Amino acid sequence: MIGNRGRVTGKIGPGLVGEVMISIRGGVEAFYAYPAEAGEVIEPGEQILVVDHQPPRSVYVQRWLPLG
Amino acid sequence: MPEGLLLVAISVVAGILVFVILLRMLWKVAEPNEALIISGLGTGSTPKSRPDSMGFKIITGKGTLVLPGFQVARRLSLDTNGANLQVSCVTQQGLPVTVRAVVIYKVGDDFVSIANAARRFLDRQDGMNSTIHELFSGHLRSICGGLTIEDLIHNRDALTGAVRQSSADEMSKLGLVIDSLQIQEIDDESGYILNLGKPHAAAVAASARIAEAERDQEATEAEQQAAAKKAASVRESEIQQAGYQAEMDQARAKSSQSGPLAEASARQEVVVQETRAAELEANLSEQRLLSEISKPADAKAYETRTVADAERDARIARAQAEAKETELKAAADATRVKTAAQAEAEATKARGSAEADATRATGEAEAAAARAKGMAEADAARAKGLAEAEGIRARAAALAENQEAVVAQQLAENWPEIVDAGAKAFSNIDNLVVLNGADGMSELFGKALSLGGTGLGLAKTLMQSMQNETATETATQNGTVHTIPVERDEQPSKN
Repeated sequence: MIGNRGRVTGKIGPGLVGEVMISIRGGVEAFYAYPAEAGEVIEPGEQILVVDHQPPRSVYVQRWLPLG
Repeated sequence: MPEGLLLVAISVVAGILVFVILLRMLWKVAEPNEALIISGLGTGSTPKSRPDSMGFKIITGKGTLVLPGFQVARRLSLDTNGANLQVSCVTQQGLPVTVRAVVIYKVGDDFVSIANAARRFLDRQDGMNSTIHELFSGHLRSICGGLTIEDLIHNRDALTGAVRQSSADEMSKLGLVIDSLQIQEIDDESGYILNLGKPHAAAVAASARIAEAERDQEATEAEQQAAAKKAASVRESEIQQAGYQAEMDQARAKSSQSGPLAEASARQEVVVQETRAAELEANLSEQRLLSEISKPADAKAYETRTVADAERDARIARAQAEAKETELKAAADATRVKTAAQAEAEATKARGSAEADATRATGEAEAAAARAKGMAEADAARAKGLAEAEGIRARAAALAENQEAVVAQQLAENWPEIVDAGAKAFSNIDNLVVLNGADGMSELFGKALSLGGTGLGLAKTLMQSMQNETATETATQNGTVHTIPVERDEQPSKN
C-alpha cells in the first residue's frame, strides 16, 4: 500500500478530505487522502505517492516528483 | 464376476458421491462479491504483527475447509447498495429546499472495513439501507447547509468534497465506502432556482425569439425571394409560352395559309412554266424563222455580197489589168506612132528632097512630055470625053436602074485610094489618145472604113473630093493623090 502511486480525484488540501484512486488488490479503490506535508495542496489529476496508510481507508500522500 | 464388478463400481461411485457431498458440506468458497467470515476453532490465531486479534477469519476470493460444529462460516455481501434519501434542508443562503438523492455505498474491500462492517451488519444486511438512510439524511442536511443552491446544482467537486468531509469518518467506522452520491432532485419552494434560471431562460427565450424572428425573417426573405424568383420564372415561362403560342399560332396560320399559298405558288409555277414554254415556243419559232428564212436570206445576201464583192474585185482587177494593158498599149502605140512618125518624117524629108529633085527632073521631062502628051491627050481627051459622055450616059442609065451596085462598084474600084485616104487621116497624128481602149482603134477604123448605109455618103464625098483633086492635080505635103484612072468600058487608054 505504502509506496503505491495514485491519482488525485478530489482536491487534497488543509481542511479538506481529498480522494485518490489507488491500484490495489487487482482493482482500483478510492481512498481518503490527506497531505503528508502540512499545507500542501494537490489539485485533482496530479500524481501522488502514498507515504502512509491509515486503516481502514485513509492515506497520506505527497506530490509525485519524477526523478530529474 | 460381472455382479462383483458392478458392486465394486457402484460402491466406488457411491464413495465418490459421499466424498463430493462431504466436500460440498465442509468446503466453503467465497465468491468475488462476498467475504466469508469464519469464526470458531482456530480462527482467533493472532498474527505475530498484530497485538490483538479480530477473533475471526476473513476469507475473500478463496475456498476454505469449515469444520462443522467447530467453526461457523457467514457470508458478508460486498455488493453495492443504493439508498434513496429525501431530505428537507436549508442551504447556505437560508433557502429551504427538499433534496432527493441516492447514495451508492458498499462494504470496503480491505479486511479492516470488512471486519468493521461484519461486526455491525452481519446479521442486519437487509437493514443496512435504513441505517444508511438515517445516517445520510443528517449528513445530507449538513452537506446542503454548507453549500449554496448553485453549488448543489453545478459544483460536483464541492458536493463530493463536502460528502467526503462530512461522512468519511463515520463511514470508516461502519466499514462502508461511499461510491457515489447523486442528487436527483431539488424542490425549491421559494422559486429560487426558477428565478435563478429565469434571466437565462428569458435571455434564452429572447435569443430564441430573436433567432426565431431572424430566422423567420430570413426564411420569409428567402421565401419572398424564392416567390419573386418563382414569379419571375413563371413570368418568363409564360412569356416564353406566349411566344411559343404566338409562334404556334403563326405556324398554324402559316400552315392554314400554306394550302392556298401552295396552290397559288403552284399556279404561279404553272404560269411560270407556261410562260417559259411560250417563251421556248417563241424562241423555237424564232429559231425556225431564223433557220428557214433569215439564215438562207443571210446566206443569199452573203452569197450575193460575196459574189458582188468578187465580181467587183474581178472588175477592178480587170479594169486595173485593162488600164495597165491600155497604158502599156498606149505607150507602145505612142512609141510606135512616134517612131513611125519620126521614120515617116525622115522618109518624107528624104522623099521630099528626092521628089523635089525628081520633080525638078521630071518636071522638065514632063514639061516636055506634057507638051507632047498634051497634044496627044487633047486628042485622047476629045475621044475620051466623047467616050465618057457615052459611059456617063450609060452609067446614068445604069444608075437609074441600080444606083447601089454602081456605087459599090465605084467604091470597090476606088478601095485603095479610100484606104489610103483613111490612113492619111492618121498619118498626121503625133499623139493619139484613145479613151475606149483597144476597141477604140478598131472602132475608129471601123467608122472610118465602114461601108454601111451611112458610110456610103462619106464614100461618095471621098470619091467626089478625089475626083476634084484629080481634076485640080494639086500635090499636098502629105503625099500625092494618085488619080485612079477610070477605065472606060468602051475604050482602052492610049499610050
